Amino acid sequence: MAHDWQPDFEQLVDEHQSMVFSLAWRMTGDRGLAEEIAQDVFLELDRHLGKIESAAHACFWLRRVAMSRSADALRRRVVRGLDLWVEMEEHHGISVAERTSPLGARLEQLLATLPESQRAVLVLRYQEDLTPEEIAATLQAPVATVKSNLQRGLKLLRAKAANHLKEYVRQKEYVRGV
Amino acid sequence: MEEFEQELRQAFERRPAPPSLKRRLMESRRVRQPRSHAFHWQRLAAAILLTAVLGGGVVLHQREEQRRGEAACQQVMTALRITNHAFEHMNKQLAAHHRVSQE
Repeated sequence: MAHDWQPDFEQLVDEHQSMVFSLAWRMTGDRGLAEEIAQDVFLELDRHLGKIESAAHACFWLRRVAMSRSADALRRRVVRGLDLWVEMEEHHGISVAERTSPLGARLEQLLATLPESQRAVLVLRYQEDLTPEEIAATLQAPVATVKSNLQRGLKLLRAKAANHLKEYVRQKEYVRGV
Repeated sequence: MEEFEQELRQAFERRPAPPSLKRRLMESRRVRQPRSHAFHWQRLAAAILLTAVLGGGVVLHQREEQRRGEAACQQVMTALRITNHAFEHMNKQLAAHHRVSQE
């Protein structure tokens, strides 16, 4: 199929590196690994550049491959959940709390404790603002499964966040009492 | 729930990629590309050479088989001629013997 769009690799990197890196980081909870995944994804894009038909296709392709490579990386290593997330944050000297609200920072940490399938749909829904149908196409999964994972993940994350807030309030009250 | 979802959207904003990512990416690409082209050509040349060697081997094998078949055929024909000659000789002797016994 003939198409007029001419891909510019450097421009694609500029436009999408933040997206690919963020997806990989949120999926793996490991900044270093996320950088490696992002690099692999873009190098693979370079090899498949001739098959990319449009800017939208490039974006879709990058999301799909980033999610797929992140899932592969997670399978290759033991995921240590929240501990890993906190450890890596400290190791790389970047505090989530500095960048966003305390609850927001905590939500990112809690996200790392969710099952991979739920984490994937939540990241695509709330980071990338995709619809369940678009998420299904990205993850190559049935729409019903995506919707189910979305609901379960949201419910679980909300419950965890509520527990965290209760604990936070209890600690504040305790400090005031002392 | 909507408030919570809004909180999620804010918490899950894209993070800026490290500046080193693009630099390393462009460097890897620059290093990989020429080697990649050379590698493809080498692979193509190796594949052609291998095909030629294998094809030549098959053709030589077939010719050798054909030559040996023809030699075997000639040997059989020679043996048949010798046998035929012996039979004719024997037949003449038998006929002579038969004539003598009738007389």
